[in-house]
Amino acid sequence: MRKGNVVKNNKTVNMAAATKSWLLLIALSVIAIYLPEFVDHKSFYTIAALVIVVIKGQQIVDIFMELKNAPKFWRLLFLSYITLLPLIISVIYLT
Amino acid sequence: MTNPSIAIELPDKKLPGDLAMWFFILAELTVFAIFFIGFSVSEQLNAEMFSQGKAQLHQTAGLINTIALITSSFFVAIALTKIHKAQAKQAVLLLLTAKAFAIIYISVKIWEYLSLFEQGITIETNTFFTLYFLITAFHLMHVLLGMVILAFIAYSAWHGKYQNNEISGFEAGTSYWHMVDLLWIILFPLIYVI
Repeated sequence: MRKGNVVKNNKTVNMAAATKSWLLLIALSVIAIYLPEFVDHKSFYTIAALVIVVIKGQQIVDIFMELKNAPKFWRLLFLSYITLLPLIISVIYLT
Repeated sequence: MTNPSIAIELPDKKLPGDLAMWFFILAELTVFAIFFIGFSVSEQLNAEMFSQGKAQLHQTAGLINTIALITSSFFVAIALTKIHKAQAKQAVLLLLTAKAFAIIYISVKIWEYLSLFEQGITIETNTFFTLYFLITAFHLMHVLLGMVILAFIAYSAWHGKYQNNEISGFEAGTSYWHMVDLLWIILFPLIYVI
């Protein structure tokens, strides 16, 4: 590297993004546990609860685990896990 | 003539921590995925038993534990931002706060187990409680291992190990802890809610 160059590679999670994620995760957790009281049909709250899992998982993967700026393969691998597993579970529950 | 500084945007696609830790995390996630799918299939085969079993669980305790783990993960994420800024002492304090929330999780989980034991419910009661105790206890073991890892990186940070942006060990430890959180957010609705 030439003298005087500045390396700029600081795309890390900041406190504001982490705080927003934390608040969203708490809010979604509270909503998830009270879903059966607001939604009568089990199929609906099963799907709603699993959609909440996907949203929460994306927050943890992208923000807390800092995979948002990781190589695409690794980010997609973890996002696939947090999407496909709830999908498989919902198929099992609804069939 | 002075040499002007040139800002170079390096590719930001860097995997945090060690590659080995990510493979380990993937292996752990796979094991738990098998547990979760097995639990779901068993529930479909024993719908009445699982419905009664879930009714005997303490949902508020589950919610408290969810909030405790998410909050713990939040403090670990913030600790990493401090390490990025070379503020090791602050990072250690945040890790200790994260561990305090993990202790809340463990305490509530033990209270849950004891409450069930007092009702005469054990791992041998039925298929639901066999899976409940197996999956939650297996997860609890990961929480305990995670606490050991957090203690190790906190100790290392306190002694100035993570300097000059050589923080892959710290990142690996925090990634493991977030995995524990990630697993719980699937486990909680599956066993307690739906």
